[in-house]
Amino acid sequence: MLYSLKGLLLTLVSTFHGLRQPVTRQYPATGTLWKRRPAPTPVQPRFMGFPALTWDGIVDEPYCTSCMVCIRQCPTQCMSATMKDNPLNQDGRSSRKKIVETFEINLNRCILCGICVEVCNFDAIVMSHEHEMSTFQRNGDRVDLPALLEIGMKFQAKTSWIPPTELAKLAEKNQSGGDSQDPEVAAASKEPDGEPDG
Amino acid sequence: MADASSETIRSGEPIEMLLNMGPQHPSTHGVFRMVLWVDGEKIVDLEPHIGYLHRGSEKLCEGEQYHQVITLFDRMDYISNFNNELVYCQAVEKLMGLTVPERAEYVRVILCELNRIISHLLYVAAIGLDAGAMTPSLICFRARERVQTVFEAVSGARMMHNYFRVGGLKEDLPENFEDMIGELLPLLRDDVEESDKLLTFNEIFLARMKDVGTISADDALDYGLTGPCLRACGIDYDVRKAEPYSVYDRFDFDIPIGLDGDCWDRHYVRMQEMYESLRIIEQALAQMPSGPVTSSLGRRLIRPPRGDVYVRAENPRGEIGVYLVSDGTDKPYRVKVRPPSFCNLSALKHMVKGAWLADAVVILGSLDIVLGEVDR
Amino acid sequence: MTAAIPVLAIGLLDVMWIAIGLFVLFGALSFVVLSLTWLERKTLGRLQRRLGPTRTGPMGIIQPLADGLKLILKEDIVPSSSERAIFWSAPVLVIVPAFMIWVTIPASHDAVLRNLDLGLLYIVAFAVVGILGLVLAGWGSANKYGTLGGLRAAAQLISYEIPVIMVVISVAMLAGSLNMREIVAAQSAYPYALIQPLGLVIFFIAGLAEVGRTPFDIYFAESEIVGGPFVEYSGAHWSVFFLAEYINTFAIAALTVLLFLGGWSGPFLSENWVIVWFLLKVYAVILVIFWIRGTFPRLRIDQLMAFAWKVMVPLSFFTILITAIYKFYEWPAWSLTLMSAAGLLAVGYAIYRRMVGPAHRVAQVRARQKALREARLASTQSPGGTTNVV
Repeated sequence: MLYSLKGLLLTLVSTFHGLRQPVTRQYPATGTLWKRRPAPTPVQPRFMGFPALTWDGIVDEPYCTSCMVCIRQCPTQCMSATMKDNPLNQDGRSSRKKIVETFEINLNRCILCGICVEVCNFDAIVMSHEHEMSTFQRNGDRVDLPALLEIGMKFQAKTSWIPPTELAKLAEKNQSGGDSQDPEVAAASKEPDGEPDG
Repeated sequence: MADASSETIRSGEPIEMLLNMGPQHPSTHGVFRMVLWVDGEKIVDLEPHIGYLHRGSEKLCEGEQYHQVITLFDRMDYISNFNNELVYCQAVEKLMGLTVPERAEYVRVILCELNRIISHLLYVAAIGLDAGAMTPSLICFRARERVQTVFEAVSGARMMHNYFRVGGLKEDLPENFEDMIGELLPLLRDDVEESDKLLTFNEIFLARMKDVGTISADDALDYGLTGPCLRACGIDYDVRKAEPYSVYDRFDFDIPIGLDGDCWDRHYVRMQEMYESLRIIEQALAQMPSGPVTSSLGRRLIRPPRGDVYVRAENPRGEIGVYLVSDGTDKPYRVKVRPPSFCNLSALKHMVKGAWLADAVVILGSLDIVLGEVDR
Repeated sequence: MTAAIPVLAIGLLDVMWIAIGLFVLFGALSFVVLSLTWLERKTLGRLQRRLGPTRTGPMGIIQPLADGLKLILKEDIVPSSSERAIFWSAPVLVIVPAFMIWVTIPASHDAVLRNLDLGLLYIVAFAVVGILGLVLAGWGSANKYGTLGGLRAAAQLISYEIPVIMVVISVAMLAGSLNMREIVAAQSAYPYALIQPLGLVIFFIAGLAEVGRTPFDIYFAESEIVGGPFVEYSGAHWSVFFLAEYINTFAIAALTVLLFLGGWSGPFLSENWVIVWFLLKVYAVILVIFWIRGTFPRLRIDQLMAFAWKVMVPLSFFTILITAIYKFYEWPAWSLTLMSAAGLLAVGYAIYRRMVGPAHRVAQVRARQKALREARLASTQSPGGTTNVV
C-alpha cells in the first residue's frame, strides 16, 4: 500500500508540474485552430538533415565537380550525377576544370549518414538542416541540382558556412602561428578562395 | 510446439485455443509473433515466429565498405546505436591492430553509457505499458528526449548516429558539450528516479512481475542468456568487468544482480544499471583527457589484413559479439553478429509455459528484445 | 368509455413527461460523457506533463465533438464470420442499462426522473445487465481476443458485484432506507465516509472494477487482448461502448458521492442550486479515478479474482457486521468509525506485507552483490594485477 500511495503522491506532484510547465512543445505551430503561430523545430548546429550542394559565391558556380566520390561511397546508392567541362574554366574565371551538370538525390532512400560529406574533397556537399520534406508525390523527394543548390544556399546563409578545408587551414595556421612561421602555410592561408562569412 | 497441441487433442483432454499474438499486436515490441496454445487463460505452449523484420543486414555488410558497415550496425539494434557502432569499430580496430586515441575512448564510453541509460529507459516505458501503467512511459520518453538532444548536438543525428569511426570518432565533441551534459545528468537522474519510484516497488507492479517468468541460473546459462536477463539470475557476468574493453577497467562501478531470475529481478537489475551508468559517465567526464579523437588512419580507405576476429561487448541487452572475416579487400568477407536479443528470446518459451496469458506480454517485455537485432 | 378518457389523457401526459425527462437525461448524460472524455485527456496530459488536446478550440474544448464526429463518420465494419444479430444487439444491451440506472439517481432533491423507493436495489440490479452485453459482444464478434475479453468481463464484473451489493446493504442499514433521497437526507449530520471509511474504500475499488477502470481494466486490456470485447467494433458501434463506459464511470462516481460523501448537501447553496455541490463532488471523484489511472499498472485476471474473493468479499461482510453491531447496540457514531478504520488499516497492512514481501529480498540481493564484488576484487588483486586507475 505504502509504495502505491507514494506513487499517487508522485503523480500528484507531477500534475502540478504539468500545470506549471508542461514538457510538450507544440509542432509545427502553436496557438489555436484560428490563430496559429509557427513553431519550427530547433535543431542543433551539427544536425544532419538532408544532403545539399553548396554554392561558391565568389566564382558563382557550385563547388561540386561531379567527381562521383560521394556517389560511390553512398551506402544506399541514392545519388547520381553527370559532369561537363566547366565553361568558366575556359574563360579563366574558375579553377575547376569540370563542373556538375546534373545531380539527383533520392531523398527517400537517403539514410542521413553523412558519409558523402565526409568523403567529399571539394567541400561540395553538406548535411543541411532541412528535414521537413514530405510530399504527396511518390517521387516528390527526388531532388535535382537546382533544388539541391537552393537548399544548400539556404543552409550556407543560415549557418554562415565556411568550407571545412578552409576551417582546417585556418586551424593549422593558428597552430603553426603559435610556435613557428611556416611560409608555405602562411602563403596558402592568405588566398582564401572560399565563401566569406555571412 | 505444434506437436504438443495435437498430442493433447489425441489424449482426449480439453482442446486448447490457439491464439495468435502479433506481428501486429501492441505489446510484441515490433513485429514479433507468438502462436500461443492457451487453456483458458493459461498458456500451454508457445511457438515464436521471427523474421518479419529481416533485412539481411549481415549479407548487406558483405557488399559495403568497412566504413559504410557502421550505418548498418546503427540499424541493427536501433535502440542502442552507439553500443553497436562501438563493437563493430572495435572488431575492425582489432583486426588492423589500431590503437584508438584516449580521448576517443572516453567519448565512446560516455556516449555508450548514455545510450545504455536511454535504452533501459525505453525498456521501462515498454514494461510499464505492458503492465498497463501509462505514466512511466511518458517520463522515460521525456528523459530520452533530453539525451537524444545531446546526441544530436554531438553526432548530428538523434538515433542513427554514424559517429564512431574505425580508429576513433568522426569529429571531436562540440564545444558546449560539457555544459550540455552538466545540465543533462541531474535531470536524467531525476527522471530515472521518478520512473523508479513510480514503478519498481508499486504493489501491483510487484504482483505482476515477481515470480513471473522465472528462470534458474543453470537454465539461463544453457539458453545463453546474457546481460540483465542473466544477471537477474544472480550471476555477475558483465563483459565490461569480465573482459574489459575500451577503458572500462578504469571506472569503479558495480554489477547489479538479482536473486530469482524473474521478471521483477530483470526490471530491478536494469533500474540499478542506469544508476551505475550514471556513475561511469561522471567518472569518465572527470577523467577525460584532451587530445586527438581520430587515429593515424585519417580518411584513408580501410583495408584490414586477411584474417578473422571475434570481438564482444556489453550492450544494454546483453553480450553482443561480432565475428569479422577479412579477405584483404575494402569490404568485409563476412560479418556475423551474435545478437543478445536473439539469444535472450530463445528462453521465452521456457519462461512462458504455464504462465498466464497476461504474463506473456510482461515476460516478453522483461526480456527487452529489439526485433531489428533479432531478425537483422 | 367516457370515464376512461381522462384517465387515458393523464396517462398520455405522464408518458409525455417521462419522454421529455428521458430526452433531457439523454442529452445531459451525452454532455457529461463529452466533458469526461475531454477532462480525462486533459487531466492525464497534465499528470504526465503533456498538454492534452490543444488544437480544437480553446484548450481543445471541442475535441470530444471532433472525436464523436469522426467515430460516427467512420465505416462500420462487421466481421464476416460474426454472429450478425448478436454483434448488432450487444452495444444496445450495454448502453440501455447504463442509461436505465440514471432514471433513479438524483442529482439534487428534485432533479431526478423517478425517485423509486427501492432505488438502490434497482440500480444494483440494472448495473449487472450490462455484463451480458459485453459477453455477447465478445462472443458475437468471432474473435478470440473478444471471447477472452468477454469471459474476463463476466468473471470480473460478477465477482465485484458482490462487494458492491454488500456495501450498499450496509449503507442501507445505516440510512434505514433504499430510497436515494432518504439516504442523502440521513447524511445531513455527517457523510457516511466519516463513519464508514472501509465501506467507502470497498465501494470505490469495487466500483472501479465494475466499470473497468485502471487498475482493473482487465477485460479490454490493450496490451494483452487488444481491446477485448470491443476489438472488432468500429465507428458508431464502438462509440456506443465508449459512451456506456463513461456513463458507468460517472454513475459509480455519483453513487460514491450519494452513498458516502453526503450527496448534494453542502454549505452556501440552497434550493435547486445544490446540484452544483453534487456535480463538484462527482467530478472530484472522477478526477481521483483519472489520477489512479495515471499511476497504477494493471492487475492480472487471477490476482483480480483473488482480490475480489479473498479480500473484498470478506471485508464487505465485515462491513455489514460492524454496521449491524453499531445499529444493534446503538453505540455512538465514532465507534463505527474506529471499527471501520481498524479494518481498513489491518487489510492495508496485510496487503502491504503480502505484496511488498518480495521487495525485502532487495537487501539480500545487495548483500550478495557486495560479496561477489569483494570476491572479484580479491581475485583481481592477485599477482595478475588490476588496472584500476580510480
